[in-house]
Amino acid sequence: MNTLERATPAYRENPQRAIVLRNLGDGRLMAILGENAVAIKLRQCFPWSEPARHISLRDSDDKEIALVDDPASLDAESRQALELALAEAGFVLEVTRVTDIEEEIEIRQWTVETRQGPRSFQTHLDDWPRVLPPGGLLIRDVGGDLYRLAEPQRLDKKSRALLWAFVD
Amino acid sequence: MQQTHINREIIGRYIGQPGQLPPALRARIERDWGDEPVQLYALADLDAGLRLGESWVALGPRRVAVARALPDANGSDRGWDIHSIDRERIQAVQESPGLSANTLMLLGAPDDPPLAVARYTQRQRGAFENIRFVLDEAIVGRTVKPDADADQVYADAVARPIRDAQALVSRHRATVILRLLKYLAPYRRQVNFGMGAAAIITMVSLVPPYLAGYIIDSVVRPVQEGTLSRDAAATIAWIAVATMAVLYGIRQTAAHLRLKLMSVLGELVARDLRAELYEHIQRLSLSFFSRKKTGSLITRVTSDTDRLWDFVAFGVVDVSLSLIMLIGLSTVLLLMDWRLGLVMTIPVPLLCWLIYQHGERLNRVFLRAWRKWSRVTDVLSDTIPGIKVVKAFNQESREINRFGERNEAVTDEFNRIHRMWTTFWPLLMLAVHATTVTVWVFAMPRLLGDGAPLSAGVFVSFLLYTTMFVAPIEVIGQMARTMNRATSSAHRVFEVLDSEPEVRDSQKPVRLEPVRGAVSFENVTFAYDGVRQVLRGISFQVQPGELIGLVGPSGGGKSTVVNLLARFYDVTGGAVRVDGVDVRKLDSGHYRRQLGMVLQDPYLFHGTVLENIRYGHNEASLGAVIAAAKAANAHDFICKLGQGYDTVVGERGHTLSGGERQRVSIARAILHDPRILILDEATSSVDTETEREIQVALERLIAGRTVFAIAHRLSTLRRASRLFVLEQGKLAESGTHRELLSIPDGIYRRLYEMQLQLQ
Repeated sequence: MNTLERATPAYRENPQRAIVLRNLGDGRLMAILGENAVAIKLRQCFPWSEPARHISLRDSDDKEIALVDDPASLDAESRQALELALAEAGFVLEVTRVTDIEEEIEIRQWTVETRQGPRSFQTHLDDWPRVLPPGGLLIRDVGGDLYRLAEPQRLDKKSRALLWAFVD
Repeated sequence: MQQTHINREIIGRYIGQPGQLPPALRARIERDWGDEPVQLYALADLDAGLRLGESWVALGPRRVAVARALPDANGSDRGWDIHSIDRERIQAVQESPGLSANTLMLLGAPDDPPLAVARYTQRQRGAFENIRFVLDEAIVGRTVKPDADADQVYADAVARPIRDAQALVSRHRATVILRLLKYLAPYRRQVNFGMGAAAIITMVSLVPPYLAGYIIDSVVRPVQEGTLSRDAAATIAWIAVATMAVLYGIRQTAAHLRLKLMSVLGELVARDLRAELYEHIQRLSLSFFSRKKTGSLITRVTSDTDRLWDFVAFGVVDVSLSLIMLIGLSTVLLLMDWRLGLVMTIPVPLLCWLIYQHGERLNRVFLRAWRKWSRVTDVLSDTIPGIKVVKAFNQESREINRFGERNEAVTDEFNRIHRMWTTFWPLLMLAVHATTVTVWVFAMPRLLGDGAPLSAGVFVSFLLYTTMFVAPIEVIGQMARTMNRATSSAHRVFEVLDSEPEVRDSQKPVRLEPVRGAVSFENVTFAYDGVRQVLRGISFQVQPGELIGLVGPSGGGKSTVVNLLARFYDVTGGAVRVDGVDVRKLDSGHYRRQLGMVLQDPYLFHGTVLENIRYGHNEASLGAVIAAAKAANAHDFICKLGQGYDTVVGERGHTLSGGERQRVSIARAILHDPRILILDEATSSVDTETEREIQVALERLIAGRTVFAIAHRLSTLRRASRLFVLEQGKLAESGTHRELLSIPDGIYRRLYEMQLQLQ
């Protein structure tokens, strides 16, 4: 039995309060649920409406093993592990500047600067940026990647001019 | 090879990531592996801090390598940190998908840290899924050797989303337009006449203003000054008037000819394109249709060819005519009076540019209006089909408000468009008038005797010519838009025409006359994408007249077996033989005529019941049709239809129930009299009573034929000569119903018992 498999007897009493999470620092997130430690991945139930709450913990078969409604209910170390893992699960490319938007045959070609580096991507002509509940825009490209423009109105003048047709 | 070239072009042009594993890195990895080849690879484009970067994961027969780019201080040759892992150490592969970041972990012993971790955006997911598939298979003891070249698989996985979204034919617009114009070649005579007529219109249009000036200078003024007699003046004047009348007559005749010839010509070109396109679509393999949406293909045959008609009929001529007109006008004006000519011609490029700019600005507003318009149509397409739900939840007011808000928003945008064009065009005309006024400003002193002499006639001609500038300037200004629209449509049409059918007949196809119905699969493997095998080494032999039931869990490969038998796809490995002949050597058209299919959701074409039963056998007698319908248990309900066998059914026709449609399709199959019959879930979507009737019809249909029947309801296959149980692409069990039930822990037995419990 390794250190992570040490049971938390309180789990059976109150599963919600007794979820223990550990980040192993090598990309793995483990959940200690009672007697067992299992490698888990996260799914945010509401990635835009409530990104930091209602987190589904899922095993390698993608089956939910627990639902963390409020990370505040976790101990400090678990909460930290969860937040670290959430940053990865909820990662989207964050657009900081729009350099060019060009319409081509059946696709729209976007050239942008993101917080993660420069990027070109394509959307279908009839795919429009989506307005997110907390504000800002979300664009989904043809490959399924997501690009977030948190505050389009605060981008530079050229970016705003290019985005004008896509923002209300 | 051509596909790989297109994929690489897409990656280079749109994605801006390497089109392949850097050759030097590949060579180094292969050298490290003792010259074992890289079979698959993928780009991990996110680093541990989730910043965009470049790392590679390469898969070989015995190892996996992860290569991370070393930071380069001088921006010169980059080094790689390569870490190879023995594949036999990998005990699990775990992928954690996020919104945009995915993590792939290669795991060794349970307590050990991961052997490798790669992070990547969704764009790279296809390439990583290929690697993951091969590793997962190896973990459960199955060896998959990717058939396709690693570069090809990588490029295909990365470029596929863009290739599927876009019609990529040529990046050069001029090439596309030239290719389109080649369709005019068979109608060279009409084109010449049409262009000739257009040239006549242009030239003739230039004459009346000149004549007007001539009459003023050479007739009216001399008469007023008394240097020309009234009789001589009248003769000249009437000749000039008659000339003008003749010229207008010629002009309108030419205009009539041009309109008629070019519109007919455009229609002929559109007809040729439609015919070629439709014929080509019919020849394409099913894989093409799985990539493209039906609506998109229909648009290409209808709207796009219609738009090309417009371009060929009017766009080509209008643009060339306007260019000729502008050059002609400028030349005439400069020849008549170069000073005033310059005043008139210098603003022309500026006016064209202003119209172009206006078009560009308008495009942006149209884009915004289009986005808002789509929000209006979203409400409609949501609520009209879902009206029952709206009413059940008493949401009518909410939906009315939602529609109202969006309707307001789109109206605002349309009003913005109206404000723009209603402001621009009067302003543009003001600019034209300003030019005319400038002509007056320069001309007036000269008319009054200051500076170079200018006659009243020349001046009047000038004024008349100025009015002729507006129309061609407008056409030239909108030329970019016209060309854009035409090239977009041409791209979409040519993309289909350039797609090659993946299933082709051999040079000397064999005809089996008749097909006896012996079918054999010899170690057949198949992968739709070249990597993930859905059939793995399937072998069986079926004698003529056998009824084979294909059963097993979903995704096991049942439909793929019948798709290969019908030769909708070609096998990746092994062979499918009918009467001992490889199906790839058969004349596929002739072979399919002896093959029948009854599908889960039978498709009836728009037409009468009679036409649907006769589909493919127009020569069948009415008696034979009735006999087939009777055998299919369909005759009775057909007679009860309003117009019997002549009742129109299918889309927009009389609606038949699922069971009725199925029986019509069985009648069609009976009339077709196939030697090999495929039943794909033929009774799964009907109630028990209907199923019984269909079952009776099917029993008549299958008699004396080789039949492959797919069914989830195992009870329907009790009469099968043999049952093939397919699981995960392998033939897991085969035998009669009784034999399979006798296998303890058998898959068939398990499935059968589960279904019994549900009944």
